[in-house]
Amino acid sequence: MPNIIYKDVIKKFEGKEIVTALKGVSFEIKQGELFCLLGPSGCGKTTLLRISAGLETLTSGKIFYGEKDITSIPPFRRNIGMVFQSFALYPHMNVFENVAYGLRVRKKPENIIKKKVTEIMELVGLPDVLRRNPSPTALSGGQQQRIAIARALVYDPEILLLDEPLASLDAKLRRYMRSEIRRIQKATNITTIYVTHDQEEAMAIGDRLAVMNVGLAEQIGSSDQIYQNPINMFVANFIGKMNFFSGAIKEVKGDNYNIQLGYNQKVLDLSIKLSPDKKKYISKGKNIILGSRPEKLIISSNQEGGLLPGRIQIIQHLGKVVRYEIRPQWDSVSKLIEVDRDEKLPEAKEGDMVYINFDKTDTLLFSEKGKV
Amino acid sequence: MIINTIKEFILRELKKDYTPYLILSLPMLFLIIFLVWPLGSSIGKAFILRGQELSFDNISFANFQRFFTSSMYQRSLRNSFLISFSVVFFTLIIGVPMGYFVARVEMPFKKLILSLGILPIITPAFVGAFSWVILLGKQGIVRHLINVVLGLVGLSLPPIYGLFGIIFTMTLTYLPFVFLLSHGAFQSANPLLEESAMIMGASQNRILRTITMPLVLPSLGAASILVFIRAMGNFGIPAILGGNQYVLPTLIYFRVNGFWDLNGAAAISIISVIIVIIAITIQKKVISAREYETISTASSEHKLNKSPLVKTIAIVYCSLILLVSLAPQITIIVMSFFKQWIGFLPEGFTLENYQIIPQIASKAIRNSLFLAITASLLTALFGTLVAYITERRRPKGGIFIDFAVMTPFVLPGIVVSVALLTTFSSGAIAISGTFLILMISFVIRRTPYVFRSVAASLTQLDVALEESSTITGANWYYTFRKVTFPLILPGIIAGTILTFSTLLQELSTTILLYSARTKTMPIQIYNAVADGNFGIASSLSVLLLVTVFIVVYLMNLFLGETASSSFKLG
Repeated sequence: MPNIIYKDVIKKFEGKEIVTALKGVSFEIKQGELFCLLGPSGCGKTTLLRISAGLETLTSGKIFYGEKDITSIPPFRRNIGMVFQSFALYPHMNVFENVAYGLRVRKKPENIIKKKVTEIMELVGLPDVLRRNPSPTALSGGQQQRIAIARALVYDPEILLLDEPLASLDAKLRRYMRSEIRRIQKATNITTIYVTHDQEEAMAIGDRLAVMNVGLAEQIGSSDQIYQNPINMFVANFIGKMNFFSGAIKEVKGDNYNIQLGYNQKVLDLSIKLSPDKKKYISKGKNIILGSRPEKLIISSNQEGGLLPGRIQIIQHLGKVVRYEIRPQWDSVSKLIEVDRDEKLPEAKEGDMVYINFDKTDTLLFSEKGKV
Repeated sequence: MIINTIKEFILRELKKDYTPYLILSLPMLFLIIFLVWPLGSSIGKAFILRGQELSFDNISFANFQRFFTSSMYQRSLRNSFLISFSVVFFTLIIGVPMGYFVARVEMPFKKLILSLGILPIITPAFVGAFSWVILLGKQGIVRHLINVVLGLVGLSLPPIYGLFGIIFTMTLTYLPFVFLLSHGAFQSANPLLEESAMIMGASQNRILRTITMPLVLPSLGAASILVFIRAMGNFGIPAILGGNQYVLPTLIYFRVNGFWDLNGAAAISIISVIIVIIAITIQKKVISAREYETISTASSEHKLNKSPLVKTIAIVYCSLILLVSLAPQITIIVMSFFKQWIGFLPEGFTLENYQIIPQIASKAIRNSLFLAITASLLTALFGTLVAYITERRRPKGGIFIDFAVMTPFVLPGIVVSVALLTTFSSGAIAISGTFLILMISFVIRRTPYVFRSVAASLTQLDVALEESSTITGANWYYTFRKVTFPLILPGIIAGTILTFSTLLQELSTTILLYSARTKTMPIQIYNAVADGNFGIASSLSVLLLVTVFIVVYLMNLFLGETASSSFKLG
C-alpha cells in the first residue's frame, strides 16, 4: 500500500468566473492510514478527493502514489477503489454482479471472481446476502453501504477513497457504520482517504485528519492534537466548540501571562506552556484573543472570583453534561457563551446572573489575526 | 532532454482513452453536412433568383418581394397566421377543461380516456382530414344531419372545405397535446398549496384563479407553442381541405412542384421559420417570467371533486370530445369496407379495398417499412450519441450542438425538404429521388425525439454510477456498454418507437422528396384521396393505423409510464 503525496495542488474551475477550489495544498498521507478530509461545504475537500481519484484534473501541482507520479494518469488506470455518497450501486445488476464488477473489468476467471466476492462479502459482514442475491435496490441503506465498500475493495486496489459515505444514513446507523468502516479498513490496511463535513465523525474514525477551509489545509494532525492545540480560531471552532474573548497582554514572566480583559479591564493570570515559535507572537502590550472550550470555563452564582457577568439564556440537559448558554452582559452584540458542566449548578435558573472565570492552565491564546 | 520530454508527452497521450473522441465526432460531421450546410445554402439561395449562380452580384430580394406584390402570397401568409392562432385558441379552450376534469374530478374510465386521448396524435393528420370530408363534405352525413337542425332556424353549415375545415380538423388533431400537458400540470401541481389557500379562507374560484392557473400556466404555454409550430407546418390538412385557400406549406409545395422554383420556396420557408421563432421568443418571454420553482418537496394526493353536478358535466363533456375526436378513426374503418359513402349511408359493402392492397400498394408498404425501420435505428444511434455528448461530455460548443439538434423540431417538415433539395439535387452529393435523401430527412427531423428522451434518462442517471465504473478500472467503452447503455435503454426505446410510429405517417417531408421508386404509404393515401378514391385511401389508412397502434401498444406494455409520457412531448 503506497503513501499519497500532494505537492502544491491547485485547482481552478473555469466558468463564468474562475473559482479557485484548491489554493496550493501540500501534505502526505501515510501508508495504511485512515485519513480524514474535514471542512465546511465549499472548503475543497471533495475536489481534493476527486482529484485524487482522477475524476478532476488539477490546474497545477503533482500527486504521487508512493514513488509513482499519477498526476496525469486517467482514473481507470490508477487501481483505486471509491465509495460514493449515493453508493452508486448499479440498479440493473444483482448484488453479486455489482461486487464482481471490478474483477470482470480485470477479466479474472470465474472461479477467482466467485472466491473473491465471497471473501469480501464476509469481510463486510454480509455473507448471507449472496444466497438470495437480490437487486441492491431491495436492500437497506446500511447493507447498500457495505456492498458499495465490498465493490470498492474486492479487486485489491492500492488506495480507497470514501466520499461522505455515511451522509445518506440515519444517525444511529451512522455511528455503527463508522466503526465498521474503521474495522474493515484496519483489516485490509489499505491507505484510505475519507471525506466528511462532520467533525465528530472525522475525530472518531480518522488516524489523522486535515481540517480544510477555503481551499487550504489549515491544520493536519491526530484528532487529539488538533483538539488540544488548534492552530487558529477557525480550526478551534470547527473541531469542537470554542468561546472567544478579547484581551491584551500586560506582562509576560516565563510561562506566566498577565492578561487584561478587553471588556471590563479585569485582570487574570494564566500559566500555560507555549512552544518557542508561538511565543514570539506574544509580547507585552499586544492585543490577543483568549479561547476556551465549554468544559474548561468555570461559572458560579456568586460574584466573588468571577470575572465576566452573564445571564443564563438556556439550560440544556444533554445527559452526560449540562450545557449553559450564557448571554454576555458586557457586550450587547457578543455571541452566546457556551459552558458545559458535569453537574447542574445549584440554585441557578434560566434568566439568572452567573459569573464566568477561566481555567488558568487550559486557556488558549490567539493573535488578533486568528493564529496562535 | 528534449527527446525525453517528447517521449514522455507521447507516452502520456497514448495512455489516454481516445475512443470517445472518435465515436463522438461522427454525429458532429453528420450535423454539419446534412443540417447546417443545407440550411445555410437554402438561406443563401433565397436571395438569388431561380437559375442564377450563388454569388454576391446576383443578390436580390425579388423572392421576398412577392409577399408585397402577390395577393396569393399575402393570402397564404394571412391564412397561416389565422389558422395557427385559431387552432391554438380552440385547443386551449377545449383541451384545458378536459385536462382539468380528468385530473381533478372523480369520474370513471380515466385511464381509457387518457389512452384514447393520444389516438389523434398517432393518427396521420391527413387521415383525419379526408375522413372529415366524408362526414362534413358537400354530401357528408353529419353535415346533412346538422343542417336539418340548423335549417329550422334558417342557418346552414358550410361544407368542410376552406379555412373552417382546416381549423376544425387541426384543432381536433392537436387537441391531445393541450389535453395531456394540462392534465399532467393539473395533476402534478402540489395540492398542499391549494389546501393552504383553502385553510386561509379562499373560495374554490379564487383558488383556481390565484393558485392553480398560475401553476399550470407554463405547461399551457409549452402546449400552445407545440400546437402553434405544428399548425404552422402542417401540410396534409390544408392540402386536402384547402381548395384554393393556400397556406405557407402548400405555397412552398406549389412553388416547387409547379415551377421547380427552389429559390422562391426557400424564401417562403425563411418567412415561416421567422414566424415560428418569433412565436417561441414571445412564449419564452411571457412564460419564463411566470415559472416557479417548487419550494417544498412534501406533497399529497389531490382531493377529487365529487359533486354530482360537476361529475355529470365532466363526463358528458369528455365523452362528447372523445366521440368527435374518434369519429375519423371510426369513419375510415367503416369506409374501408364500402365502395362509396355519398349521402346518409355508405353503399356497396365490399372487401375489394383490402384485396387490392397487395396489388397496388405492396411497393409503398415495403418502402414505408424499410424507410421507417432503418431511419428509426439510425435516429436512435444518432440521437443517443448526441444526447450523451451534450449531457455527459459538456463540450465547449455544447449549446450549439443542442441548438442544431433541436432546430428541426421547430422547422416545418417541408422546410427541411426544401433545404435538402436545394443542396443535394446537384453538385458533390446528388441524391434527390433516392432513398438516401428521404432517410437523411427522416433522421434530421426525428433526432429531437430520441435526443430528448435519452437526455431525460441521462439527467436522471446519477453520474456517480459511471464514475464508479471508471474508478473500478473500466475504460469509456466498457463503462458505456455495461453501465450507461443498459440504464438509458428504456429512454432510447421510447424515443425510437415514437420516431418509428411518426415516420410511418410522415407526409410533409416526403411530399417533396419522393420519387416513383421511393413512394411511401402516406403518399399513396394522399394520392388516392386526391383522386377521390376514398375506399382505398381508407383501407390503407386502417392498415397504417393498426400497425402504429400495435407498435405503441407493445411499447406501453413493456415500458409503462415512460412511453406514454414521451408522447406528451412528441
